[in-house]
Amino acid sequence: MTRHFLATLLFALLAPLSAMTDHQADPPGDRVVCVSKQINEFVFDIGAESHLVARDLTSIYPRDILKLPTVGYHRALSPEGIISMRPSVLLTDGNVGPNEVLDRVRSVGISVVTMDPGDTLQGAEDLMIRLGNYFGREEQAATLVAAWKAGMEKAIRAAGHWADQNKPRVLMVHFGQIGNSYLGLSPKGPAEQILEWAGGRNAIAEGSRMVHLTPEMIAVAAPDVIIATDVGFDRYGSVEKFAEMPGVNLTPAGRNLRIYRIDETEMMYFGPRTPASITNIARWLHDK
Amino acid sequence: MSALRQLPYRQIYLALMLLLAMSLIASASIGTIVFTPLDIATFLGEALGLSPTGPDVLNHNVFFLLRLPRVVLCGFTGATLGVSGTLMQGLFRNPIVEPGLTGTSAGAALGAAVVFVFGGTALSFASPLATAGVPLLAFACSFATTMIVYRLSTTFGRTEIFTLLLAGIAINAMCNAGTGFLSYIARDPQARNITFWNLGTFTTADWRGALVVATAFAACFMLALHHGKSLNALMLGEEDATYLGVEPDKLIFRLIVINTVMVSVATAMVGVIAFVGLVVPHLLRMIRSADYTFLIPASALLGALLMEIVDIVARLVIQPAELPIGIITALLGAPFFLWILILQRRAMGGSYG
Amino acid sequence: MADLAVRLLNVSYASNGTQILSGIDLCFRPGLFNVVLGPNGAGKSTLIRIAAGSFAPSSGKVLYGDIPALSFDATTLARRRAVLSQQIELSLPLRVEDVVLMGRYPHYRDAPSIRDKEIVSRALDLVDMAGRRHQPYPTLSGGERQKTHLARVLAQIWDDDDDRDERILFLDEPTTSLDIHYQIHLLDTARKFLARRCTIVASLHDLNMAFDYGDHFFLLDFGRLLCEANGAGSIPKELIERVYRVRAEMIASADQIAYWRFRL
Repeated sequence: MTRHFLATLLFALLAPLSAMTDHQADPPGDRVVCVSKQINEFVFDIGAESHLVARDLTSIYPRDILKLPTVGYHRALSPEGIISMRPSVLLTDGNVGPNEVLDRVRSVGISVVTMDPGDTLQGAEDLMIRLGNYFGREEQAATLVAAWKAGMEKAIRAAGHWADQNKPRVLMVHFGQIGNSYLGLSPKGPAEQILEWAGGRNAIAEGSRMVHLTPEMIAVAAPDVIIATDVGFDRYGSVEKFAEMPGVNLTPAGRNLRIYRIDETEMMYFGPRTPASITNIARWLHDK
Repeated sequence: MSALRQLPYRQIYLALMLLLAMSLIASASIGTIVFTPLDIATFLGEALGLSPTGPDVLNHNVFFLLRLPRVVLCGFTGATLGVSGTLMQGLFRNPIVEPGLTGTSAGAALGAAVVFVFGGTALSFASPLATAGVPLLAFACSFATTMIVYRLSTTFGRTEIFTLLLAGIAINAMCNAGTGFLSYIARDPQARNITFWNLGTFTTADWRGALVVATAFAACFMLALHHGKSLNALMLGEEDATYLGVEPDKLIFRLIVINTVMVSVATAMVGVIAFVGLVVPHLLRMIRSADYTFLIPASALLGALLMEIVDIVARLVIQPAELPIGIITALLGAPFFLWILILQRRAMGGSYG
Repeated sequence: MADLAVRLLNVSYASNGTQILSGIDLCFRPGLFNVVLGPNGAGKSTLIRIAAGSFAPSSGKVLYGDIPALSFDATTLARRRAVLSQQIELSLPLRVEDVVLMGRYPHYRDAPSIRDKEIVSRALDLVDMAGRRHQPYPTLSGGERQKTHLARVLAQIWDDDDDRDERILFLDEPTTSLDIHYQIHLLDTARKFLARRCTIVASLHDLNMAFDYGDHFFLLDFGRLLCEANGAGSIPKELIERVYRVRAEMIASADQIAYWRFRL
């Protein structure tokens, strides 16, 4: 047992080093467990979904992915849950919890590959290319990125019509499942960038990433339009009911019932569907 | 029940040890990945060098690196909480005392939360500093809060039990507010950890954590064992205990220190787990005796046993995800606690002092 | 520690601005049944507790032999002197024998020896509770509870062939709320213990009982020692009448024991 223990100790001490090693050199294998909704979507986009065997709870796009079993919520993972899938590799974008999960998974000899796209469009495009290389679908990835770039250009140009006009104030409302509360999407993040391309202005000017929303904050932000992600919107069920949320009822958006529902996966990260999102949002903001 | 009350203590210990052994085997087997007794025997054989490592390296690793440390950590945490509850109930001569009532658990949780939120990149999870930082700061905060509660309730060397309980409640409230505040202002990645902390989990158990908790428990348990007599004597009241050679103020201080070390180390590794310290001594009193020379060792055994059972449940209910332990202990512990209250009201003169 | 005469030298005690004892100078007689007398509030209980080393007087000293009582460590003191308090209202969730075993705690560290268990049995015999040793304490009557505690304190200072020093048994109003059967039983048993190298210091409120059992008397009033007497007859009747605010009439005198009848 001593030898084994020493080996384990050595492995455990070296584990942080292995985090820096780029396991992308190894092929993904046929039992990929991916706990990032963005990466999962991209994998389907480049046609590599046959490699996947399990997902996390929040990966729900495209619909076909729902056939795969889940290993839980990506912020409440259990090592054994992942390992029981006997993955050839665990694929993440870095957004996982609890912190030690990746360590534990590595410690039993399973590769963990982290591809973090960051907050930029370029980062997302790079992610697509990397995934193309990783799964040996470079051509598909390249084609997709080209079409995506073209789509982005077109959508931004079309939305640029409204660049000079009055940019409506928009409040983007997300729902935090762990804290069970509504969050406002604040500066720095794909959502705001998408909004700006669509010709809107973020009603929240401070903070970074996400802030807890209070009725007062909502009222003070005084948005002309509210865009709510699916889970949060569905808790109220309809535009009229959502407009009755404390704080919302005091805003121009609430009074004019300019509340729109959007799928989280269409706004929280950049992807090939972003051009369509820009166009949709632009229509909501500017078609009266 | 009355038949059990005639049994010598030794036989109860044996029965508990037997049940504990069974629960350890069950805990080692059951989970998202199931290990049959044959599997376990095979792995042990491989580890001892009796046979070469088979083809199933993955399961071998999962068993030794994830499952086994979890079983160990779980058992020692349960033992810690069980003994801690016993010590506290003996010290305060109040059966509704929890290890967390002196502000110990809440302080530990607050210390851990501070590391998560303010540790920043220096204490990101890959760094060895974090692995030491969390339990250290948890212990430091836990000790600080416990000492505050103790000092507030001790004047001229005499400790007022009632004041201690009230001060503990106040400090608990403050720590919970602090932890709540930290989780509120925390940037998202940090907040994930704090929520877990308040609910307790064995999900990410490893050998380091298991051995730290085991060591802290073993040391504190050895020290606590000697004080069974003194806790019995304390039942007579502080003055009569003094006549028997007990020094109540020294005793209280010593036991508070022992309790704090044990509980804060366990809380730093696992998070806050409630009700175990409340339920274990009660069950033992019902089964056999309120004699502290019996309760201290027995509560270690029963605490470990119950914790293993609860952890098995935590692993099974929402497979492959896991339920935080604190939720189950609260769900089971709270009704039990209410039941105790009802029974106590019915019992004739059922006061413990 | 052979000479264990308990001596109080100019002991005074005040608490919260109230003077409870003033200038007490006395020596309890070794090997005898010493009785502290006095009306309610005279300070009897405080005197007993200070003499037992429970806490320090405001001024003055308590000596056991030549050594200050408070200089002994807790365990050594516990092996020499035991205190039976006024009836403990607690409901100890233990068996009778477990409670009596507590008396042996100062004598062992981790587990009781055969001798300790033997002493427990003999103490239970002495108080006639042997048959009830397995009974849970909460089911006992008041008198039985006090017997259990008596057994406990006797077990605490049970003499040993290896240890021939004098013991002290303090009884602080031990007969409060006991019926006559138990009162007599308790005092009889205590007196029997005198033969085991023991000094008794008791505070009793019942004068007839005190005179019946006591050998040496100390009369307190308002925290002062008014009179010390060797034998009940030696206390002046006028003093009793003044201190207790009653009229005293001796009604019989059999075997040199005075029986008094009291009226207002």
